Amino acid sequence: MAQWDLSSKIVPYLDRHLVIPLLEFLSVKEIYSETDLLKAKLDVLSKTNMVDFVMDIHQVLYPCQDEPLAKLREKRETVVQRFDVLQNEAEPVLQMFSNSDVTAQAQSSRDPKQLLDYVTKHHNFKPALTDACHSFAKFQFDCGNYAGCLEYLYFQRALIQVTDATFMSGLWGKLACEILTQSWDAALEDLKRLQSLIDDPSFGNSLQTLQQRTWLIHWSLYVFFNHPKGKDLIIELFLHQKQYLNAIQTTCPWILRYLSTAVIINKSSRGDDMKDLVKVIQEESYTYRDPITSFIEDLYVKFDFDGAQQKLRECETVLANDFFLVACIDDFIENSRLMIFETFCRIHQCISIDMLAAKLNMTPGEAEKWIVNLIRNAKLDAKIDSQLGHVVMGTQTMSPYQQLIEKTKALSFRSQMLQMNVEKKKKAQEQPNWGNEGF
Amino acid sequence: MSRFFATASSDESSSSSASDSEDEMPPTQRKPNKPTPAAFIFSDDEEDTKRVVRSAKEKRYEQLSSLMKNIRNSKKIKDFNKMETSFVELTRAYDKARPVIAKEENGVTPRFYLRILVEMEDLINETWEDREGRKNMSKNNSKSLGALRQKLRKYIREEFETDVAKFRANPDADDDEDEDKADASESSGDEDEDNFRKSTSKSREGSHAPEKPTKVKKQATGDDDDDSDDSYWDSDGESESDSSDDEPGMSLREKFLKKTTDGEGKKDKKERKDRKKKEKLKIIESDEDDDKEWTTVTGPGGAEKPKMFEKDDEINHELVLKKLIEIMSARGKKRTNRKEQIELLSELLSISEENQLGSGIYTKIHFGIIAAIFDYNPKVSSAMKPEYWEKCMPAIEKLLAMVEENMEELATGDNITEDQESFETKPYKVRGCFLTCVERMDEEFIKVLKGCDAHSNEYVDRLKDEPRVVSILQKTQSLIEAKQGSPSDLCRIYLKRAEHIYFKFDPRVIQQRKGESDDKEETSLASMDRLCKFIYSKDATDRLRTRAILCHIYHHAIHDNWYEARDLMLMSHLQDSITHADPATQIMYNRAMVQLGLCGFRHAEIWDAHNALLDIQQGGRSKELLAQGLLPQRHHERSNEQEKLEKQRQMPFHMHINLEMLECVYLVSAMLIEIPYMAAHEFNTRRRMISKSYYQQLRSSERQALIGPPESMREHVVAASKAMRNGDWKKCRDLVINDKMNAKVWDLFYEADKVRTMLARKVQEEALRTYLFTYSKVYDSISVDSLAQMYELNKTVVHAIVSKMIINEELMASLDEPTECLVMHRTEPTRLQSLSLQLSDKIAVLVDNNERLDLRQGGWQGGNWRGKDDRGGRDGGGMFGRSDGGRGRGRGGGGKYDGDRRGVKFSDKNYDNHRSHDNHRSHDNHRSHHDRQSGRPWKSRDRE
Repeated sequence: MAQWDLSSKIVPYLDRHLVIPLLEFLSVKEIYSETDLLKAKLDVLSKTNMVDFVMDIHQVLYPCQDEPLAKLREKRETVVQRFDVLQNEAEPVLQMFSNSDVTAQAQSSRDPKQLLDYVTKHHNFKPALTDACHSFAKFQFDCGNYAGCLEYLYFQRALIQVTDATFMSGLWGKLACEILTQSWDAALEDLKRLQSLIDDPSFGNSLQTLQQRTWLIHWSLYVFFNHPKGKDLIIELFLHQKQYLNAIQTTCPWILRYLSTAVIINKSSRGDDMKDLVKVIQEESYTYRDPITSFIEDLYVKFDFDGAQQKLRECETVLANDFFLVACIDDFIENSRLMIFETFCRIHQCISIDMLAAKLNMTPGEAEKWIVNLIRNAKLDAKIDSQLGHVVMGTQTMSPYQQLIEKTKALSFRSQMLQMNVEKKKKAQEQPNWGNEGF
Repeated sequence: MSRFFATASSDESSSSSASDSEDEMPPTQRKPNKPTPAAFIFSDDEEDTKRVVRSAKEKRYEQLSSLMKNIRNSKKIKDFNKMETSFVELTRAYDKARPVIAKEENGVTPRFYLRILVEMEDLINETWEDREGRKNMSKNNSKSLGALRQKLRKYIREEFETDVAKFRANPDADDDEDEDKADASESSGDEDEDNFRKSTSKSREGSHAPEKPTKVKKQATGDDDDDSDDSYWDSDGESESDSSDDEPGMSLREKFLKKTTDGEGKKDKKERKDRKKKEKLKIIESDEDDDKEWTTVTGPGGAEKPKMFEKDDEINHELVLKKLIEIMSARGKKRTNRKEQIELLSELLSISEENQLGSGIYTKIHFGIIAAIFDYNPKVSSAMKPEYWEKCMPAIEKLLAMVEENMEELATGDNITEDQESFETKPYKVRGCFLTCVERMDEEFIKVLKGCDAHSNEYVDRLKDEPRVVSILQKTQSLIEAKQGSPSDLCRIYLKRAEHIYFKFDPRVIQQRKGESDDKEETSLASMDRLCKFIYSKDATDRLRTRAILCHIYHHAIHDNWYEARDLMLMSHLQDSITHADPATQIMYNRAMVQLGLCGFRHAEIWDAHNALLDIQQGGRSKELLAQGLLPQRHHERSNEQEKLEKQRQMPFHMHINLEMLECVYLVSAMLIEIPYMAAHEFNTRRRMISKSYYQQLRSSERQALIGPPESMREHVVAASKAMRNGDWKKCRDLVINDKMNAKVWDLFYEADKVRTMLARKVQEEALRTYLFTYSKVYDSISVDSLAQMYELNKTVVHAIVSKMIINEELMASLDEPTECLVMHRTEPTRLQSLSLQLSDKIAVLVDNNERLDLRQGGWQGGNWRGKDDRGGRDGGGMFGRSDGGRGRGRGGGGKYDGDRRGVKFSDKNYDNHRSHDNHRSHDNHRSHHDRQSGRPWKSRDRE
């Protein structure tokens, strides 16, 4: 199953801390060997300050090597020391914000400048403190103390301008923290803030923008597949925002898997979205292809229902092994079945239930029940011929009269509007027009 | 006879000019302040003297010296009228210069000034005595002579009586006593004397035979347009003037030259010579019989070898350099003998090599030689002569070798100014840029190729130089890389390399793709990729990058890298900006687009292929748009200028794209798209033409009274279209793919069989679609099986095609799964119904048009408006037809054609110009292409 696993492609665009949940998920799924994963984890963690964690893994991996462990202990010492130092530096900020005046002011003041003026005046605040704040937050993040990091990032953000060099990095840090503490609402908010910042035309050169967008796309996967509204938003962002679609096409076509899944799952968005998606998938089919995209291709480009059926089965396993998609596997299956069936109905006027069952990966009994439900819910204009075991579609042809009516429906109204316009203009012209004619 | 003189005189001139240049420039005190035009790029520009800030002294002295030169000139031709004016100016200038002189010379009148006065006096006296000569003089001249005599006498008497007397007492005591203490080394002093004596003897010798040269001159004046002729005439004149007259003034000028800048001195001298020559010409014409006045001088003997330097000269850097500058400064002058320049420089090179003056000097001279070779051909538009082209390449190779050998101690570049040049000590610094030379050479190569007849052996012979050119480019590239040249230099040479690679097909690419050959070997595609990516990331000018992109696209396209080529084209956004590019780039764009289209065709992307080729084919101007030949002008003649321009743009023959293949691919694509479309919309009033020129072909065949079996490629395609129209796919296939067409078109593709299979398959599919569209009315139901049999297609394929048609609502039918039948939903309208449907369509169009009218012409007068309205009501039918057509044209971006027939109109229309084909399946694809480009930044290409 490793061939469809995207971890290796996604990881380069994630923060080290964000990778850890991913790796843990993979170790549960047992796609890769356990030691490999542990090594990867060790590698990921080695540059962070989560020394305890590292030591644990190290012991599992290399039970009898003490020398590196000693080094790690040393490192732990230095980390603790540094932590203290940084904490002392940033202490005044914490104290300042524990003052109720300041919090009130922070809430009431509209922009950071105002607040900054206030605190410099009343609380003897030095601008260097924001940097201290930032570095302490970063350090805490490295240590895995996300809540603490969040707190300091909040302070920092309250005090600096958008133009500040650390603003962006603070925002990214905040997003990471929110994701890791699983507060999805806040994460979504941060995501939007970041997005608007990146989309700002003054952001930077196109390469930078592209990189930032790519990062944002990858990080946002955490949010979109966990937030209840995420599946709508992901379509909105990835498919409807052309810049992001471009970014996906240029730098990370594998994201199409998530986009396709979202489109399939999303009941309301079928139709136009699907059309757009099919185009994108076709365009990128030479660089990226997996069961999910080929399922869509089979269904909407080749009309190869057997192939689609085959792919659907593969999709199941792919989804089950994907960190982000594992939660929506049932939705996906249900919806893709519906999609197959819908397409089928549009093309056929008479289908045997047996065949349908085979195509939908169901037993004939189940299939019949499923169809009956669909008919009952008025999603389908069809009848079941139980003697022959056929589903007969209702015809949807339009009589010429109806066509004629359709075509001419709007005409009279449009003409009326036209007439009114003309009359209005005429009137305006007949008004005495000073200073124009005759002079 | 003239030949004899030619050689003799040219020899003479070289030796004499050598000698006088020595006089002028005492070796140790040469300060080359002014950069000689070493950058050959601007070689035509004679006046590129830089502004030099000069002291008052320099300025005054210069003024004086130039006036004195004038006087000497007029003295030589005995133009007293001129001399008089010059003299007046001179006295005035001297007055002005007086304070400076007083300061410089401690109040003593400078000897050079006295000398000119004395000379003038002598001359005037002499002429005055010669009564007979005076009589023959023109009236004007003799009058001036008198006046001048008076003035001069007065002037000398008043101011310089004693000085002149002193001077006369000791005329040859050189001026350097007071001035040149530091610099006049013994040897040079000796030389001076030597030369002086020698040349005077020469002149004396020469004066015995005054008759012959004049005759030569007379001849020469007749046809002095001719290069070779006027070259010896030149040198003749030069030599004469130099040897006979310059000497006395030499030492004087020397004094100046020490103060003024060398280059200017040189220049002045040159100018003076030129002027002299001209004047001489005039005089010869005016008083031809007045031979006695003329004491022309020929060389001391034709057989004597040309001498660069005097025998006993110590050849050192200064000497050679001086010589070089002297030769070089003649560049670009009208009368310079260009051929001789090359020879002189080569000789100079060998001399300096004999004396082992170091590679700095060699390089400098090499630059000179190359520049001279390039100069040989005075016209920019025409090609250089083959023999010079053959000289040019080795020269550049040698230069590069030299640069390579002395990688460490030799620095070249345009940024090194003349002042910073150093030839004697390592590291050498030389002004001049070998990259520019190489670029120029490459341009010349293209020109030389274009100059040959493309179908002759000559062309083939020239083309054999291509590998050599490429190897030179490669060498240059490695040199620049080794020297770690600036990114912009690298970009330039990379682009040159890319331009030599891009149009060549490399079979290794395909082999590698199939795994048949070694993966490690660098194919042209890989090197192209490397070169272009470097340019993308480093280039600062847009032009190089654009060209690199186009080369890259082209190269991808000919190697069937369809997706890469397409993406590159889409991401580059070139479609939007190409109209603003220069014609050469636009031609390149057209070429790349055509290759893209052909590549798309091979990939069965018929729509893309069609759209890429549509613009080029439209109006039958593909030849012009691809710069593969001039089209005859229908409406008005093109002026010579235009023709020249257009000829310059033409591609050399070996880079041409086969136009017939192009047209065939276009027509076949159009057929595959248009025929099913026509069948589907047979009765649709809003049907649009997708490709106009395809329609033209169809129509012209319909007009024929008798249609015979197809002969030409076009006839084949037209016949095939007719067969497809009837759903007869076999006939259609046989008409498109047969021996004739194979030979003409299909065999030209690299993997012809693959293309043919693809094409046959496409014909089958599209014929099936056409069949269904056309004959669905006849059927109530039709089994998928029988369709599959009829079209020899797989059942699943038929199923897919039919399903697609149903989904897209092109076919009113549905499948009956248990029986595997296609059941038509008969909605066959009655005649009345169909008529009323058509009517409703037309009414809708009317309303549309009215609305548009209302929007657009909101400000119209009421009366106008009503009139329009009425007419619309009266002949509605006709109007609909027309407006329909109009819209059809509008969508194609036809409006972008500005009807400009003057130059080549390079179509900018692009992929997205069919945006408004709303109902077509592929259209959406394209729109998304377009959208996708927007905001997709360039850099993003570097995915890795």
